[in-house]
Amino acid sequence: MTRLLLRYRRPLILSSALLLSFVLMTLQVRSQSPLADLTKRMLLTTISPILRIAAVSKATTVSLWKEYIDLRRVRRDNQLLREEVRQFRVQVGELQEAAQENSRLNYLLQLGSPSGTEAVAAKVIGKDVTNWFRTILIDKGAREGIQRHMAVVAPEGLVGRVVDVTARAARVQLITDPESSIGCLVQRSRVAGVAAGSQAGAVQIKYLPLMADVVVGDRVITSGMGGIIPKGIPLGKVIRSSRPNGALFQETEVQALADFSRLEEVMVLKRPPEGDLPSGGGKRLP
Amino acid sequence: MSILLLALLGVCLLQSTVAHRLAIGGVQPDLFLVLVFGLSLSTRPELATVGGFLIGLYQDSLSGAPLGLNAFTLSLIGFLVSQLSRQVKTAELATRFALLFLAGITSGLTTLLVLRFFQVFRPVASTILWTVLPGAIYTAILGACLLALPRPRWMRGLGR
Repeated sequence: MTRLLLRYRRPLILSSALLLSFVLMTLQVRSQSPLADLTKRMLLTTISPILRIAAVSKATTVSLWKEYIDLRRVRRDNQLLREEVRQFRVQVGELQEAAQENSRLNYLLQLGSPSGTEAVAAKVIGKDVTNWFRTILIDKGAREGIQRHMAVVAPEGLVGRVVDVTARAARVQLITDPESSIGCLVQRSRVAGVAAGSQAGAVQIKYLPLMADVVVGDRVITSGMGGIIPKGIPLGKVIRSSRPNGALFQETEVQALADFSRLEEVMVLKRPPEGDLPSGGGKRLP
Repeated sequence: MSILLLALLGVCLLQSTVAHRLAIGGVQPDLFLVLVFGLSLSTRPELATVGGFLIGLYQDSLSGAPLGLNAFTLSLIGFLVSQLSRQVKTAELATRFALLFLAGITSGLTTLLVLRFFQVFRPVASTILWTVLPGAIYTAILGACLLALPRPRWMRGLGR
């Protein structure tokens, strides 16, 4: 028996790994088992503190590098001027950075307050590691009161919603993720649709009737339907709208207002989802 | 084992903090795939399979993917590359590029098939054309160059 096992160990190990992966996927996608969620959270918990440290180290390295460059530049001048310029630049850089951060956070706070929603500012500490999904990791989690399905906004507009929470970090599904669907309104004509992400990273509005009044340049806001995302958050601007022959609905593409490649800070709106949502908000998200 | 863990930690950090800055047209290189590939060139198929499975689990935990999706793909790729490396000379840059490209394509197609099995439908043609193919080419170029870099003595176990 042992000899047989040793002889066929390679196909056995491969089959076991594939089977185990498959079982984990089935548990998470089909049965929504807490075991798969727990395993994923445990893995994420082991890596998120290191990501946080890396983010801080990166910021420090960048700051040190900039100081070094400044030092090289002013070395051409005389000793006194060089010292003055170096100090001045470092101070200005720090002040500008502080002022910019202050202004971004102020704007974010204002964005959270009109709806009477308590909001938590968070830093982006990681982005999705695959080309298949579009998510980000933020440095606030259950300890700061973050829960699944909470809306996440940037100064420009809606970023997405929280889909996974650990004690000190949370994962946010961006509105450009192919699995994301959010109720929306064309602000000018009040036509309602569903803003869905796509594989290409664009946002498309689904279920807009052919006769609906939509033109390029129209602003799109959240409709508040579904009770997850509050109403009235800016989402994007219509960049393409067509009515193909034989189609039931318009094909409308929207450019998100938030620039997801440059996100540094976001605000999580602590409005709890209305009613009891299933753990994936309907269809279990992968 | 400790080298693998350190490399895995490094790849986790690089992939989640730096890789998106290297993205071209929204396509980022898959450093996890490069790590599994490097590991598979230097170990037995059974170890490469287990390594691929563990690396895939970490990739899943850092992504929006269901737990097991990348573990499935990378354990399969670890096994195949390790088996293949026993029959093909893998020391040359061009061979490594070709094998990494094939691994990238296999990874993409397997992911597409598994997602389809779980009723997560993606448009096949455009996904292959705009996600799988560019991702495989980018990963193969970057991976082949990374594996060709001289490494310190303690890291020589990965991708000899």
